[in-house]
Amino acid sequence: MNAQAISLQDFRAQLEQLGKDVTREKLPDEERVQRAKDAFMRKLDGRRAVDLDTCLHCGMCAEACPFYEATQNEKYAPVYKYRLLRRFYRREMSPMRWFFKPFTSDITIDDLREWKHYVFDACTGCARCDMICPMGINISTLIRVTREGLSAAGLAPNELTDLKREQDAKNSFLGVDADRLRELVDQLADDGVDIPLNKEQADYMLLTTAPEVLLFPGALAANAKILNKAGVKWTMFTDAFEAANLGYITGDTPMLKRTLKRLVDKARDHKIKTVVVPESGHGYHVIRWLGANAIKDDLPFDVLSMPEFITREIAEGKIALKKQANGTSVTYHDPCRLGRKGGVLQEPRDLLTEMGFELRETASNGRENYCCGGGCGEFALSEASTLRQQAFELKKHEFQQAGADEVVTGCASCRFNLQSGAEKAGWQIPVTSLVETVAANLAD
Amino acid sequence: MENMTLLDFARGPGLQWALWIFFFGVLWRVVGAMFLLGTKDRSKHRRNHYIRDGLRACLTRSAPAHAFEEKIRFQHLTGYAWHIALFVSVLLFAPHILFFESLLGFGWPHLPNTIILFSAAIAIGVLIALLIRRATHPVQRLISNVDDYVSILVVLLPLISGVLAFAHVGARYETLLALHLLSVELLMIWYPFGKLMHTIMTFPSRYQSGTFFGHRGVKA
Amino acid sequence: MRNDQFLGEYLRMQGVSRRGFLKFCSATASLMALPPSAVGQVAEALATARRPSVIWLSFQECTGCTESLTRSHAPTVESLIFDAISLDYHHTLQAAAGHAAEEAREAAMEENKGKYLLVVDGSIPLDNPGYSTIAGISNLQMLEETAADAFAIVAVGTCAAFGGLPHADPNPTGAVAVSDIITDKPIINVSGCPPIPVVITGVLAHFLTFGTIPELDALGRPAAFFGQNIHDRCYRRPFYERGQFAETFDDEGARKGWCLYKLGCKGPTTYNACATLKWNAGTSFPIQSGHGCFGCSEPDFWDKGGLYQPISAGLWGERDALLGAAAAGAALGVGSALAARARKKKALAEEEA
Repeated sequence: MNAQAISLQDFRAQLEQLGKDVTREKLPDEERVQRAKDAFMRKLDGRRAVDLDTCLHCGMCAEACPFYEATQNEKYAPVYKYRLLRRFYRREMSPMRWFFKPFTSDITIDDLREWKHYVFDACTGCARCDMICPMGINISTLIRVTREGLSAAGLAPNELTDLKREQDAKNSFLGVDADRLRELVDQLADDGVDIPLNKEQADYMLLTTAPEVLLFPGALAANAKILNKAGVKWTMFTDAFEAANLGYITGDTPMLKRTLKRLVDKARDHKIKTVVVPESGHGYHVIRWLGANAIKDDLPFDVLSMPEFITREIAEGKIALKKQANGTSVTYHDPCRLGRKGGVLQEPRDLLTEMGFELRETASNGRENYCCGGGCGEFALSEASTLRQQAFELKKHEFQQAGADEVVTGCASCRFNLQSGAEKAGWQIPVTSLVETVAANLAD
Repeated sequence: MENMTLLDFARGPGLQWALWIFFFGVLWRVVGAMFLLGTKDRSKHRRNHYIRDGLRACLTRSAPAHAFEEKIRFQHLTGYAWHIALFVSVLLFAPHILFFESLLGFGWPHLPNTIILFSAAIAIGVLIALLIRRATHPVQRLISNVDDYVSILVVLLPLISGVLAFAHVGARYETLLALHLLSVELLMIWYPFGKLMHTIMTFPSRYQSGTFFGHRGVKA
Repeated sequence: MRNDQFLGEYLRMQGVSRRGFLKFCSATASLMALPPSAVGQVAEALATARRPSVIWLSFQECTGCTESLTRSHAPTVESLIFDAISLDYHHTLQAAAGHAAEEAREAAMEENKGKYLLVVDGSIPLDNPGYSTIAGISNLQMLEETAADAFAIVAVGTCAAFGGLPHADPNPTGAVAVSDIITDKPIINVSGCPPIPVVITGVLAHFLTFGTIPELDALGRPAAFFGQNIHDRCYRRPFYERGQFAETFDDEGARKGWCLYKLGCKGPTTYNACATLKWNAGTSFPIQSGHGCFGCSEPDFWDKGGLYQPISAGLWGERDALLGAAAAGAALGVGSALAARARKKKALAEEEA
């Protein structure tokens, strides 16, 4: 194939360069604290208030968190991660704030600096804690709000700030801009994969993401093959192709909106009916579930992940799958933001079963699946690399228990984290992509 | 009434004030939290059986998913033991039911006293075990605050004083009964300000989790 | 009986055999929780007792206490004890009336100065002496006068002991107990509405035997009779434990003799000897007859909730007040949320800018 992927090692090297030249806005500490508090206040509503008022400090959330489980560090308990938000709520927004204020300490700059580690390095927002909480508290959302506060205070990790600034300025990140995309599209054309760019008339708009372009161009090729096979009118726009949203990753809400708006406007201008999201967990999550709320309006198009698109096209008879005859057993790893937080749990499994794979589930799967350890931008954080690897060991253990030949997943970030983790652990296991598997097994 | 005894106070003004503060505080806290409101989710639903999903979550969160069971078996079992033992001794003891009847206007069937006593003993034992765990387990020790310990104490006192009054052990019956009622009044006064509110807040919290995940097509 | 006759002699004259007399003494001794060795002492003391003078003052009372104590179908040794005392003044029982009666009282007081026993039944109205007077003398004045030289006072019945029915809310006559007025004499409260007859005789027998007042509880009642509550001695206690209650007065539970807690029995908080000694020479007591105890030997029993209201039901006020409290709480909640939302709106507006 002409389209060349970069190696994991080179990708990791590129990540290690992030954040080195980031200049931080010089702010007095009180200003930082105030900005964090304002960010908290903007996101605290009746739902978060109920969440914050219901916790009974049972500590069960810790038992669901891969970072706690891998390290037994009690400060990684999810409830501890949102402690600053709780203190703020009790002092400023709770109906009984006049009672609680004298007994609740205020948030300090030292708190914010300390918490950066807990909410960025030791949390991927995987929401596994949400599933275990006996009180039904949306813990991951509370941690997310904390992240947003830190981001507003200018205390997000340098690596993420670097990426976010790049995307904000250039509409792309990791150097994967329009030119880079065109280059890849040309290479794929040479390989016989047709990707229509910038078409005026199209019903479907396909996205891609920087890690996919760099590491897994085969996935982009697979998406194109599938869309072409289905015979739909589709296109990709060179000025609106990036599914990733660094505003979301960093917890910068205004930037989340700005970034998303570029995609939405483009789709609206071209009367796109359906946006098809590639293998990007948070990419799907942001546009499918947060998008309408971010622009405060209904989205002018439907949003489908590739598994949903493929399933629908099969149901309508537009494409069909072959049964692969190798007797390969696979374990499907649910990306957190596609599965547990996205709702696309059954389609990938049905597709794999339809293709004749023997499906072997890990002990924690589906809505209780363990996070790959590197989600939500964590893979870019150099300080979190040990933690990431420790979390990965939990996955490795479960994979080995399940004993499948291959791991299949539906998110480029998960794919990178699992491959990288396996490499570091010296464990030889193929980690493949769902769409590439489907594309390889399309019936004629 | 001149010469009001401790028991008269506990049954009369003490109870009255405690109930007033209880209802006042609970409504204040629940309404104040929920009235902060939220914005409607504009994203297109994958599933729109909100009431069903919300109510289902209210029930299913009491049964942890299989994948988690091994890790939280202790909390799971003691949680059930504690709540069942508490409900049996509070709600199925004939004199208590008569109290609720005077408050609500209706009662319900009761269980024999020996079962109640047994149940109260289990409740006390489990609560003490939970107290010890809270003070010794790293996670719980880190996240626990005054509220947690006071709430445990405020629930232990009625249980212990109830058992003592029931068994007529420690002082004259009227004194024991008065102390029991006063400890219940303390619990009612503390209730709106501490984490005992979880008995009420559990339901909106589980419900909204049910609808949040249900909207996305995931079983909360 | 002549004043100078010994009691023992008198009883023999009445045909009470030595055996019958000793039987009474040992019954009395055991009632008083005295050891068997005390029986002889009781017998000796009673046999050689001189009849002490007893002045009985009846104030705001219904005469039920006197009825209880004197009613007997057949002469019993208890009633003979009454003959053993020199009842020098008693409205209902005495033959004299008017000035003659008052003179008899004053004479008895003078003759037995410092040695007579004063028995009082009925409460004393402090509000307006006109509510209860005897020969134009207010109850308060008569009590103070007569108590001044008494050896001890026995307040018979809940009215005299604690104020009783007249003392119940709103207490229109300003009724008080004997102990609220007399503070410098030993007072034995024999409460009950009315008290059990044999309790009185037990107290008197103690007095005659030892010349002292018996051990009293915190409310001044003889501990031997008021030391335990009805609940602990009630024969229906097993039904309470098993949770078998009568729900109405004529249901299956009532007919089967189940516990009367739900029908308002105040047994657990009532201290008296009804469950053991019973009434009418051991015939029965209220619970045995199917009606809950209503705590007649306790202070303010009229004001402790209805007679049919169970002990565990609250004595608190209107239920509607609770709705008011809830509404006030909700209002405060709404107010606090609105204030918080206003600040949030400001923060959101700043972000947009």
